[in-house]
Amino acid sequence: MATTDLTAQIAARRKERQRRSRPRRILIHLGLISFGLVMLYPLLWMLASSFKPTEVIFREPGLLPSALAPGNYVEGWNALRNPFHHYIINSTIVVAGSVVGNLLACSMAAYAFARLTFFGKRTFFAIMLGSIMLPIHVVIVPQYILFSSLDWINTFYPLIVPKFLAVDAFFIFLMVQFIRGLPRELDDSARIDGCGHFRIYWKIIMPLCTPALATTAIFTFIWTWNDFFSQLVFLTDPDMATVPLALRQFVDSQGQTSWGPLFAMSVIALGPVFGFFLAGQRYLVRGIATTGIK
Amino acid sequence: MRLQRNRRITPVRLATASAALALILSACGDDGDDESTDDAAQQAAGDDDGDDSDPEEVELRFSWWGSDSRHEETQEIIDLFEEEHPHISIVPDFTDWGSYWDRLATSTAGGDAPDIMTQEERYMTDYALRDQLLDLNEVSDVLDLSEIDELALGGGEIDGGLYAVATGVNAFTVVANTQVFDDAGVDLPDDTAWTWDDFYDIVGEIAENSDAYGLQPEGSNEAGLKVYARQRGEALYDADGSFGFSPQTLAGFWQGLLDAVEAGHAPDATEVMEFEGPDTSLVATDDGAMGFWWTNQLGALDGVAEGELELLRMPGEFEHQQPGMYLKPAMFYSISSQTEHPEEAAMFVDFLLNDVRAAEIMLTDRGLPANLRVRDEISTLLPETEKQVSDFMAEIAPDLADPPPPPPHGAGEIPDILTRIWEEVLFEQVSPDDGAQQFIDEGSAAIGG
Amino acid sequence: MPSTGRAPTAVNEHAPPTHRPPRPRRKKSMLQRRENRAAYLFLAPWFVGLAVVTIGPITASLVLSFTDYSLLESPNWVGTENYERMLGDSRLHNSLIVTFVYVFVSVPLQLALALALALVLDRGVRGLPIYRSVYYLPSLLGGSVAIAILWRLVFGTDGLINQVLGMFGFEDLPGWVGHPDYALGTLIVLNVWTFGSPMVIFLAGLRQIPTMYYEAAAVDGAGPLKRFFSITIPLLTPIIFFNLILQLINAFQTFSQAFIVSGGTGGPADSTMFYTLYLYLRGFSAFDMGYASALAWFLLLIIAGLTAVNFIASKYWVHYGDD
Repeated sequence: MATTDLTAQIAARRKERQRRSRPRRILIHLGLISFGLVMLYPLLWMLASSFKPTEVIFREPGLLPSALAPGNYVEGWNALRNPFHHYIINSTIVVAGSVVGNLLACSMAAYAFARLTFFGKRTFFAIMLGSIMLPIHVVIVPQYILFSSLDWINTFYPLIVPKFLAVDAFFIFLMVQFIRGLPRELDDSARIDGCGHFRIYWKIIMPLCTPALATTAIFTFIWTWNDFFSQLVFLTDPDMATVPLALRQFVDSQGQTSWGPLFAMSVIALGPVFGFFLAGQRYLVRGIATTGIK
Repeated sequence: MRLQRNRRITPVRLATASAALALILSACGDDGDDESTDDAAQQAAGDDDGDDSDPEEVELRFSWWGSDSRHEETQEIIDLFEEEHPHISIVPDFTDWGSYWDRLATSTAGGDAPDIMTQEERYMTDYALRDQLLDLNEVSDVLDLSEIDELALGGGEIDGGLYAVATGVNAFTVVANTQVFDDAGVDLPDDTAWTWDDFYDIVGEIAENSDAYGLQPEGSNEAGLKVYARQRGEALYDADGSFGFSPQTLAGFWQGLLDAVEAGHAPDATEVMEFEGPDTSLVATDDGAMGFWWTNQLGALDGVAEGELELLRMPGEFEHQQPGMYLKPAMFYSISSQTEHPEEAAMFVDFLLNDVRAAEIMLTDRGLPANLRVRDEISTLLPETEKQVSDFMAEIAPDLADPPPPPPHGAGEIPDILTRIWEEVLFEQVSPDDGAQQFIDEGSAAIGG
Repeated sequence: MPSTGRAPTAVNEHAPPTHRPPRPRRKKSMLQRRENRAAYLFLAPWFVGLAVVTIGPITASLVLSFTDYSLLESPNWVGTENYERMLGDSRLHNSLIVTFVYVFVSVPLQLALALALALVLDRGVRGLPIYRSVYYLPSLLGGSVAIAILWRLVFGTDGLINQVLGMFGFEDLPGWVGHPDYALGTLIVLNVWTFGSPMVIFLAGLRQIPTMYYEAAAVDGAGPLKRFFSITIPLLTPIIFFNLILQLINAFQTFSQAFIVSGGTGGPADSTMFYTLYLYLRGFSAFDMGYASALAWFLLLIIAGLTAVNFIASKYWVHYGDD
């Protein structure tokens, strides 16, 4: 079959190229690694500092600690009103709801904007983009009044429900761009086969959009995990506090900040996001490239 | 329970939401109708009451800022109070200093203000004059203020009402690192006699005889300016709420600091910008001899410093017309005018202020207690640095002049304006004279309008 | 710029046709009405969100921009006073300059770096997931409170940068982060440092380009450069466009990093006083929410204008698969 020949041919060519350019590849790796170290320096410093006693963090600014104090982790975990995993669980609930909400609601809206023609499309699209252009600080008070009258303050609803209503319009736009990049022949042929819009959306577009969905999930996770302002305002009950709120409890700009425990818990707080990123990025490689076109 | 799985938008919810929407718009559109937001608040709060089975139960929210140790101590006090008053439960609401005000402003705007809130000089007047705080004279039968330090009590009097009570007091003064003094071979000065000239001479002497700097220049803290102006018979704010100092005074205050920077006796401008609170400051890292700090920050400085730290009076206290130092209420307790339970809220404030057991837990975390009897009773319990502060305050108290009046409406902006113009002066973008005039112009606009 | 965004005509029968037969023009009929209905169904959650969560607060902020709302009292109507005040507000003008410099320097830099690394990493470099993760890590920090400290550590007087430059004989270097002339520069670097987000979006976009286009082109004898310019870039334009809009809007709204690094002051001497930081300080520190709302709507006009210009321009350089 033609494809097999072609694949073999390409594979041979690739191998040939690789053999020729080994020094170049090493050079690329060297470049990538040193660049990575520069990128990572501040983070490495934070990691190193999380093992130093608070008193010496600013006296010995070097990377290598002279005395190890793993106690920061124990102390930080237990210093607050609740053990730290309590806040991680709260954050996880908010984040999980947000990810599911964004994936469903934004992809549906994106399908409509990318593939369907309907009355008012351009206007709605403009409104959608416009809705993310106002800084949060002027809409937070009206939002607070709204959620307060629904009796939603100190629940996770104000943080999650809007995601199920596709309020994060960035992700609609992101998925619109991805879907518009997909060849239209795909849904045309499905339509000829008698598929309705929902089936096309669910069976054809969504699977092909895996990279876009993974991107949306990753970003929703990170942005929600790090989001401070709305969580600060909507969650005043300390038992409902999320990770960013908990981290602030170590800070006292006028007095003594518990830097050691703060850095230790900041490192811990990076764990789930990084883990999710690692898991999610595997889906960045799947997509049309491997599923192929019928 | 916390997260019900039902995310469907039911018609009921939709209706509520639309009602809320109409509410926002009506609240905005109304011309001078003061009641619409409050009505909503009361309505929302009224709904809460309907859910309670026992009408006797009272739930109060208490808000404060700080870091983990304060949160822990405060919770202990709350537990103690709840034990004694089983029908009252206190819901804590805390975060760090910066976020505290965002949250307080938002929830106040939403008609959801905490029943009992911690206030600070900076914003207190703004809240009081906009009718967000309860006049504590209305609850004087529950809230006993008879033992509160007279010097501190006046700080909460605004426009004839008493809107806040000091939790405790601090003084803004000089912290000296004795190790740096020793290394430079300089003796600690007699702080009852030193003038500003003496002060800068010592700064220079230390910088020239050691690797350390003499001073961490601090031109943006209004307390320093306040002291400097008061020593000259002036004031930052007059009783009528306008500025009470001349531009020459502010320029002179800045010029002294600037000269020390230019002579290399103090870190240069960019280094000054890099200090982040007490932890990284010169006296804490033993890299400098002196800095200006609030007395309650001694603990934080001492936690980092290896050298012994000593509290000194501000220079020039006996140089001019009168001593300039004053006791500043560290923070205030206020009761929201939106609260439905002013009596119970006052009971809790009374407990915080007057109960020795509460003070034994808190010690000087909210300043040296404003209640004189309590201050006396806990004095033996204080750890070393707090004892040092308490002794220092007792020593200076007899010499203090009348306390400054509470800052005027709009004073919340003054620290930012002062900081910005000081930075321009420090980087020599404007001269101290022009900067002082600029500060008076911009600041007057803020507190006048 | 290639004449078409599609892959070159291929010999392989599996490659999609370059030109789709024109779709039969449907009559404005039942079919269209059905499509309308389907579209509104797909958009239903968004409509509800718009009506309930979005429109209310946005409208409220518009109305408030014509009032003297202080957060603590009910608002009074003041007409266009807030907008007139903006004309004479020199701190606002300064913040506009700061913001524009930031946007127009950091966005192109960040996007170029993100695209360059995405392309390098997409070449099948061994250990790709590791590099990708390492480069992405800084972006995970977001508005963490630790950023302020970390940034002083790198750009302070005794920071990493000056130590490295010191090894090359540079002396008496200023502390970059605390100097009015350079502080904005360090924030630009901070933004570029978090290029991980656009990079990941670029990578996702690159992954979506069907490999068969490349294979077909390779068989046709197109060199790597030709393949890059006639396949990769054109097919990536929707994603480049998305990243551009996204970063533009984000950069105009930059708040938390400047807030944290300057300790909320926009200092030194207003040199990092971003527009939204100024707006926030007016609203929450000076209790001048009416004016802050007016500022927000002015910002919206600026961003919307620039976005519209970009959308119009995009017709000339963005190629969609569904053209």
